[in-house]
Amino acid sequence: MTDQINDQISAFIDNELSADESALLVRRFERDDDARSRAMRYTLIGASLRGELLEPHPSVLRQRISVALSGATTPSVPKARERWTDRWARPLLGVGIAATVAVVAIGTLRSLNEASVAPIPATAIGAFPLQVSDPGRAPSYVVPQGTDLSRTVAPIRLTNYLIHHGEFASGLSRTSVNSNVLGGAGAIEPVAAETAAAKPTPEEGLE
Amino acid sequence: MRKALPVAAPSLLVFVLLGGNAAAQPARDWLDRMSRAVDELNYTGTFVHVLDGTPETLHIVHRHVEGQSGERILSLDGARREIVRQGARVQGIFPDRRIVLFETRRDVSPLATALPTNAAELEPHYVIELGGTARVADRTVQLLEIKPRDDFRYGYVLWLDRDTAMPLKSHLVDEQGTVVEEILFTAIEFPADIPASALEPTIDTTGFVTQRATEAKPLAAEIPWRAAPPPGFKLSVATESQIAGSDTPVGHLVYSDGLATVSVFIEDPETEADVGEGFSTMGSTNVYSLTLDTGQKATAIGEVPRQTVRTIASSLSLVGK
Repeated sequence: MTDQINDQISAFIDNELSADESALLVRRFERDDDARSRAMRYTLIGASLRGELLEPHPSVLRQRISVALSGATTPSVPKARERWTDRWARPLLGVGIAATVAVVAIGTLRSLNEASVAPIPATAIGAFPLQVSDPGRAPSYVVPQGTDLSRTVAPIRLTNYLIHHGEFASGLSRTSVNSNVLGGAGAIEPVAAETAAAKPTPEEGLE
Repeated sequence: MRKALPVAAPSLLVFVLLGGNAAAQPARDWLDRMSRAVDELNYTGTFVHVLDGTPETLHIVHRHVEGQSGERILSLDGARREIVRQGARVQGIFPDRRIVLFETRRDVSPLATALPTNAAELEPHYVIELGGTARVADRTVQLLEIKPRDDFRYGYVLWLDRDTAMPLKSHLVDEQGTVVEEILFTAIEFPADIPASALEPTIDTTGFVTQRATEAKPLAAEIPWRAAPPPGFKLSVATESQIAGSDTPVGHLVYSDGLATVSVFIEDPETEADVGEGFSTMGSTNVYSLTLDTGQKATAIGEVPRQTVRTIASSLSLVGK
């Protein structure tokens, strides 16, 4: 998967791709499992960042694919209470395989996000908002927000410690520790920069 | 009958104490089930790890056979890194640095019996409550909230698979109520069997530098250092460990309250280990390093608030001194 395709998928989900490019990309989803699953993942991540996962109909990918299939101008804001059956009827009949792929993708997306009957406690959603880098700006659907470059990286000794520590953490924490080791945050920096990295932060806010 | 009385009295007391909190029992049961599920189930899936608003996608294979568990986690975004854990052996593969780290865990568990072994024992330090149900990764989940009673530990919101109790989504919540980390499975399967080959590393390490933990000298069974941890944290490990890439053993203490774990590493001054001074972070893990009066460098590390790692590292002293 090239960076160009990644950028296209991100732009598609961010509603920044032209109608023609969108249509081409949707046709690519039809034959390219990797591109399709990447689009699903980016959409889920974006929805997760905005706390939409537990809402009944986040439908961003569905909306983008629907618009691409119908060739219509992309609305920037989803219409409230639009009947999804109406939106799908024409494309499903007219576009064949591409629509089938889209339906599979949308079906999966919807089932991933469906809330069941019992309500989620407000504290679980509202009281613990996910922090984003710039709270003044809605998080993009684009996944790689400086994945590798923007983090403070740790010297190899601290990485050794973290791996060792993970062996004694509870099962729940171990996944978190391993993710920290593997992710950008736990990256091992180049040897030349080893001394400067993992610079301790000031003790602000502590007694 | 007379002999039974001393046993019956404390049992009755426990019954009365716990009886007032009977409503919490289902929540504790879910937590106990989750603890077992994470370690004892076979599963394979893809999850997103979100930190400071930045998501990274990882793939996990977890295998449990005859009481032994192993897992392989592969980073799908950015540099393709992998961790493979099989029994006590851990292998970290970092293609971006062309390094393979081999760590071996020593089985030093006599102290571990002091740790809480079930959710009821966590209650002095956490409030454990059941929420509603929802859907994650196309599966029905049960919400479970674990709120700390003080500022020395993080809270958790867990979305547990209704069938298996596996956490399909989790939030790590700091003392201000901010989610510092989210883990979200986008797909997961629970195969009855996973072949051993599924835990083989997938990254070709030809030409990589290998760092192994070499036992240049016998490791001490117990080290004389102890910390004064916050309430609820109990010592489970106090030994020497061998760190990959170093001939000199490092002192290793582990404190846990049953959910949160803090490791303390104490380096011999001769190693001149580069661990910095003061606070640093690695993802959701807080780190505090300082040089002890005796010249050793100590580093406390854990998924706990900063004040907890600092409290533990700063309180280190030699036993009996």
